[in-house]
Amino acid sequence: MIEYLIDGPLWYFSLAVFCIGVLWQLARIVFAKSKTDLSVARGSASSGAIRNVFSRFVPHREIAPHIGVQLVAGYMFHLGLFALLFFAAPHVIFLEENLLGFGWTPMPHWAFIVASQFAFFGLILLWLRRMLNSVSRLISTLDDHVATILTFVVMLTGCLALLKGHSELRLLHRFTVELLLIYFPFSCLMHTFTFIPSRAFTGAWFGRRGIDA
Amino acid sequence: MFAGFVLLDKLKSSILPDVVKLISPLLLVLLLTAPATAGPPQRPDFPQGVSTTNPGSDLWREVRQRDLPVTGISQVKGVDSGVLINVQGDRWARFRIDNLVRHAPTVLIAVVLVLLAFYVLRGKVGIEGGLSGRMVHRFTDYERILHWCLAIVFLFLAITGLILLLGRTLMIPLFGHHLFSLMASASKEGHNLFGPIFLVSLMLMLVSFARRNIYEKGDLTWLLKGGGFIGKGHVSGGFFNMGEKSWYWLVILVGLAISISGLILVLPNFGQGRVIMAVSHVVHVFGSILLIAVAIGHMYLGSIGTEGSSEGMKSGYVDINWAEAHHDRWAKTCHKNDEIISAEEFARLHGRPVESNDSTTGAG
Repeated sequence: MIEYLIDGPLWYFSLAVFCIGVLWQLARIVFAKSKTDLSVARGSASSGAIRNVFSRFVPHREIAPHIGVQLVAGYMFHLGLFALLFFAAPHVIFLEENLLGFGWTPMPHWAFIVASQFAFFGLILLWLRRMLNSVSRLISTLDDHVATILTFVVMLTGCLALLKGHSELRLLHRFTVELLLIYFPFSCLMHTFTFIPSRAFTGAWFGRRGIDA
Repeated sequence: MFAGFVLLDKLKSSILPDVVKLISPLLLVLLLTAPATAGPPQRPDFPQGVSTTNPGSDLWREVRQRDLPVTGISQVKGVDSGVLINVQGDRWARFRIDNLVRHAPTVLIAVVLVLLAFYVLRGKVGIEGGLSGRMVHRFTDYERILHWCLAIVFLFLAITGLILLLGRTLMIPLFGHHLFSLMASASKEGHNLFGPIFLVSLMLMLVSFARRNIYEKGDLTWLLKGGGFIGKGHVSGGFFNMGEKSWYWLVILVGLAISISGLILVLPNFGQGRVIMAVSHVVHVFGSILLIAVAIGHMYLGSIGTEGSSEGMKSGYVDINWAEAHHDRWAKTCHKNDEIISAEEFARLHGRPVESNDSTTGAG
């Protein structure tokens, strides 16, 4: 019964919530009303947008020494998670058989292990910094903590089910994924889709005003 | 075909009756004596079957118990591929069951009981005059992140490791075979995955804390006075006292031994034989139980055992009275460098509400 629910209705429901929710949130941003900028342009908004999208991958020289943990752990976590999500063999097979109808070459098992270790180590460090740095702790919301814990639990259940000997572990992983999909559009996890438009918007604003930032 | 039948008829009519007459008494004697000569007498309470010695016994006995070297020659190229029976393997398996699995829970439970008894008898180790509210910076964000990262990974490894070591004995009677199998499978994957993270955290810990944990003059006095538990009053200590330094080096050295033996176990494709694997397993379990046992003590002293200790790893600041009680030489340096901040400033830095307590308003 539980197996049927998790593999069937709950999966389709969570997928629908995720897709509709993400599209809804993006549409809200795209169609949000903003004041027309009547000022005389001092620079190119487009080049400012492109420059800002890429330049923000590297921190400013002045603040880099103060954010070493976030910088290293942030890249470890995000690159590790990206590799796990799109190049882990079970995920590639799942996407091919259930969603896309085509697949691609997955990464070898040793790379999977290394990627997951990077992701886990990075996420633990990031969450600890959020908890232990006084400023980060003050500006963190419940959403930040829930999103972090949920992501960690999804990764953990996935790795614990690696042996494929027990369907319960696979179901547990899938259930946590479904919870994450439902939570995703209404949380800070939306930054997955918004960080590029956000940087572009800010960069365009800067570029038009001739701000070199 | 026809000729055959004719020959048979001739035999029947000529010599066959004589032959039958001749052997009939012999057959009767054989039938009557057969049970007595064919084997042991059949008893009704014994299962009926053929009782015979395994024809391979002598061969395997010769392979295993002969005085010659046990390694032979094989076409298969690989580590220990010429060994038919690993004689040490059985000894290791018995040692694991009879010593490691049997005594590990006893050690851990004993540590908990000793701490419990200590807490009941002595209670929380307080500070003379109590906490002042005036704080001094002790650990940076990075140092605390490292500490908690190592602690979280260590706890995860300890729990999953204990499930793997003791699960068959302790968990199967409680949860049954299926649930234990599920937990063991998950624990094995999780344990192998988080092991290297522990090693990296340990190395970062070594780099960050090693300099302040080098033994110095005065540490021996701390040891002789049992860290203040023997006799009255607190004993002198620097930034880290003798006990903390010893705990640190124990974590680093035993942690390294655990990590290296763990890597040997988890990566069997680097040419190590079964004997090395067995020794690594014993080192891994010994080291882990030792570290878990001492870590329980560390957790006790860092939380409910000593007043004001946990704040250092939570906010990075400690009360100046705590510093003077446990690390007086370091506290003197803090006074000298004017590093002490007021309770209000500490609360402002950490976004905490300021408590209106007279004892916490003293200037630094």
